[in-house]
Amino acid sequence: MFMYTEAKKILRLFTRYFKLNLSSQMEYRASFLVQVFGMAINNATFIFFWWLAFGVAGEYIAGYTFKDIMFLWAVTSSAFGLAHILFYNVHRISNLIITGELDTFLLQPVPVLPNILGAGTSVSAWGDLVYGVVLLAIVWGLSAKVWIIFVLAVMLGAVIFTCVNILAHTLTFYIGNAEMIASTVFEFMISFSIYPDKIFSGIVRILIYSLLPAAFISHIPLRLVKDFNIGTLAIWLAFAIGFLVLSFVFFYRGLRKYESGNLIVTRM
Amino acid sequence: MRCIEVKDLTKTFTTKVKQEGFKQSLKSMIKPEYATVEAVSNISFTVDEGEIMAFIGPNGAGKSTTIKMLTGILHPTDGSISVLGLDPAKKRRQLAAQIGTVFGQKSQLWFHLPPTDSFRLLADIYEVPKDEYTSRLNYLVEMFDIGDLLKTPVRKLSLGQRVRCEIAASLLHQPKILFLDEPTIGLDVVVKQKIRELILHINKEYNTTIFLTSHDAGDIEKICKRAMIIDHGKIVLDESVKKLKYDYLNMKIISARFFEKQKPVSMDGVKIIKSTDYAASLHVDTEKVSINEVISMISKDGNLADITINDPPMEEIILDIFKKTAAGAP
Repeated sequence: MFMYTEAKKILRLFTRYFKLNLSSQMEYRASFLVQVFGMAINNATFIFFWWLAFGVAGEYIAGYTFKDIMFLWAVTSSAFGLAHILFYNVHRISNLIITGELDTFLLQPVPVLPNILGAGTSVSAWGDLVYGVVLLAIVWGLSAKVWIIFVLAVMLGAVIFTCVNILAHTLTFYIGNAEMIASTVFEFMISFSIYPDKIFSGIVRILIYSLLPAAFISHIPLRLVKDFNIGTLAIWLAFAIGFLVLSFVFFYRGLRKYESGNLIVTRM
Repeated sequence: MRCIEVKDLTKTFTTKVKQEGFKQSLKSMIKPEYATVEAVSNISFTVDEGEIMAFIGPNGAGKSTTIKMLTGILHPTDGSISVLGLDPAKKRRQLAAQIGTVFGQKSQLWFHLPPTDSFRLLADIYEVPKDEYTSRLNYLVEMFDIGDLLKTPVRKLSLGQRVRCEIAASLLHQPKILFLDEPTIGLDVVVKQKIRELILHINKEYNTTIFLTSHDAGDIEKICKRAMIIDHGKIVLDESVKKLKYDYLNMKIISARFFEKQKPVSMDGVKIIKSTDYAASLHVDTEKVSINEVISMISKDGNLADITINDPPMEEIILDIFKKTAAGAP
């Protein structure tokens, strides 16, 4: 019962933030549209690059077809988009800790971490989300199985992307400004998600199935699309939930070390 | 009824120590040295319901650290706190629902949106029912005179307008205690006065307890009944503002005007603040010399045109207290 009311509260908070974020961005209408379309065009150039590469290499690159690579791209792009539409503020955690702006969130009677995550959005992320959907529709058509796995993958992917950022930014409580670390880690995550996983070996391969779980963003969903297996599905779900719990626990432990600060700031 | 009880509260921070120079930088990377700083050291106090309490101290005295512990942002190193019967470190969210905060340096309002959007969000966060929210908002809009500002993006508001909206925002959920950290910082005299009136009004109307930190002696003099002074993490004084003004310092300011040219006064215990041919302002230490003696002295030629006797400004009193504590004699 407690969990249920908590979840309902958090959901309401997210909805309210979502609307508020959107209206905040729409204050600047021209910039909104430019950013959304700009991001879609930016992504499209990468397809062109892959199309050229397959033209040279033949049907397979590292065991992946052009269609497979496009699936990785679609999922990664939409998951990235969803994460940034809903939880863009995750990137500000280090900054909030260092400037003491975290105080504002701690002074409100709602759970701190969801409160932080929901409080910001990225406009261009809409471009990423839509781009993935369009790409999938063009390359994979309208197969129900593909789309169900895609939707699930986008949702879990958004959660995993966000959690990786939470973990990295939480380091700020322990070692000081971890913003650089977090952005590096996040770039690794994206890069690993959009290339065939067979090209990674050794330590990197272990990493993408554990602490930097890029494999769970796009590779495992692709495996399910090509060869559905209930066991793989279960591992995928369990991993996402486990990772979520881990990142929250790590954050709340770090929060105990919070020292606050007194910089003069406005809430943007 | 007690609404804040603090006992033996201590907060220490650990900071890295580094000597000057590159060599020392390298050394501190390999083998860092740490020092502990006691920001708040073993303080105890209580605040009653409906009280207006000023918490005063110079920069770095421990004011903000204390207020952050009272509101659950920071966890104490030692000692105990009870605010509205709750331990802020353990029941942060429950407490947050019952207190309001205005931290002069941090905004609750969304920079790019009009206040009304932020108000609506805060009402959601604080779970204020819809009809209650409407009537509460109407009341606050009227009281704070912010009707015209509601639809203007916060970035376009002046500081004074913004602070009024900030305080209104912190009152949407009818808090039992209002924590104000430097609420009048950077405001002009007229707006300051307005804010002070509003704070007094809220206290009277709803018996809201006010806990206020400020650098501005005027804030304390005009609104607070009790003042607590903290320096170097220790409470050096806890008195009613009235008592502080009348008893702590035996100082009076005498201003006089004369019909004819006068000579500067010279007496033990009297300091000249300003002196011209036809007027003088004197600082009188009544422990050394009585007011009576000073008046007889300056009026002896019978040319006194006008005289006023005032208490020294609060600012001076506080400064004096700091000086005395720094000298080791509270």
